Amino acid sequence: MDQRHDFPGYLACQSCDSMFDVSRLRDGDTASCSRCGGFLTRYVADQFVQVVAIAIAALVLLALGCSYPFMTLNLNGLESGMTLPQVALSLIAHRMPLLSISVAAFIIVIPAVVLILVIALAGAIALERHFDWLRPVGRLIFTLQSWSMVEVFFLGVLVSLVKISGIAMVEMGFAFWAYAVFSFLFLLAVTGLDRAQCWHQIEQLSQHE
Amino acid sequence: MSNGFNTASSRGLACCHLCLKLVRQDSHLCPRCGTAVHQRKANSLERTLALIVTASLLYIPANLLPIMITTSLGEVTESTIIGGVLLLVDMGSIAIALVIFFASVVIPLTKMAVIYYLCWSVKRGRLGTARQRTLLYRMVEFIGKWSMIDVFVVAILVALINWSGLLMVRPGPAALAFAGVVILSMIAAESFDPRLMWDLEPPAEQPNKKPVERPVVKFVVKPDVKPGQEFESE
Ligand SMILES: [Zn+2]
Ligand SMILES: [Zn+2]
Repeated sequence: MDQRHDFPGYLACQSCDSMFDVSRLRDGDTASCSRCGGFLTRYVADQFVQVVAIAIAALVLLALGCSYPFMTLNLNGLESGMTLPQVALSLIAHRMPLLSISVAAFIIVIPAVVLILVIALAGAIALERHFDWLRPVGRLIFTLQSWSMVEVFFLGVLVSLVKISGIAMVEMGFAFWAYAVFSFLFLLAVTGLDRAQCWHQIEQLSQHE
Repeated sequence: MSNGFNTASSRGLACCHLCLKLVRQDSHLCPRCGTAVHQRKANSLERTLALIVTASLLYIPANLLPIMITTSLGEVTESTIIGGVLLLVDMGSIAIALVIFFASVVIPLTKMAVIYYLCWSVKRGRLGTARQRTLLYRMVEFIGKWSMIDVFVVAILVALINWSGLLMVRPGPAALAFAGVVILSMIAAESFDPRLMWDLEPPAEQPNKKPVERPVVKFVVKPDVKPGQEFESE
């Protein structure tokens, strides 16, 4: 077994508090609680390198998704288009700043921040370098990650497509496809970063300092 | 709290909710990540109930007020969540109508009912096993954010349909109220501590318990083992 990724001894189930010995997992193993079925941890030997690569690709796609037209409408020759940031920004014009901020946070800002932090953290772990900011960055990632709604927004796009198609011609722009691939990669990156292993690595790096 | 079962708390340990480190029960800050450690989420029931009651109250204006206001050639139409669903049925988009109906009505109502029930189950009687109720909790935690769909649809239509004088869509106050319902009930689910249900379980179901159990390990990528095969390693 890869020594550097040697796993911490014990974990308690988050749902029922039972304790488990997870020290002998092998590459690709997923451990779950035998009392309630809850997920404990998943061990992948080179997960941090993979996560960095996926997160960089996702971040690039999100940037592209924000800068190109997302959808274009055509109603008897009248054209109207929108970009991704406009989904949130146009709500300000209707005096709904709170809603605008929430939408921007759920579909753009939180995912972008999480990706940047994941690249920094998983990158540092992959390179076996310790920095003082690893702990606060780790805390932010695992606090923010449940607040991204990229996949929900994507379903929302599909629903609005059907709603509009009765009124006008819709054309999907380049940003639509970029965002589609981005949402998939984002979920891969976030689920690929195993909480227990990630913190075990941070602890190890700080001790070797 | 300790009932002879093989739990972290029965061994005098608490689990850090952020980094999962097991620390001594009397520690205040987690030595690994620096967050405050509680043996069980702090004031879990009170916080969960307060949030879910607020969410339930907010659900009323979210349904009564218009979520979307359409101006077509000077004619103004206000539509509520249910109105939007009925309109989709009229248009013949039954599948989409069902998606919106589920996301905006079934999921939030189910979620609120389940959270009330789980809180009650910790205080009072217990229907179903703790394992079943934990599954219910996980389901509710997972489906919560999908309720946001209708808010996103409104935001997209507002950004896209914007020919003033001809055809224009504006967001209604219910969009904000409904987003509030979703966010509050997400925080409520997060505040609930499922371990409270297990703390009430009768002691040691199995005799001959080993000091520390081995988890169920699923060998996902090992080609020599059948997928999904489960066993206690060692
Ligand atoms: Zn469990
Ligand atoms: Zn911690």
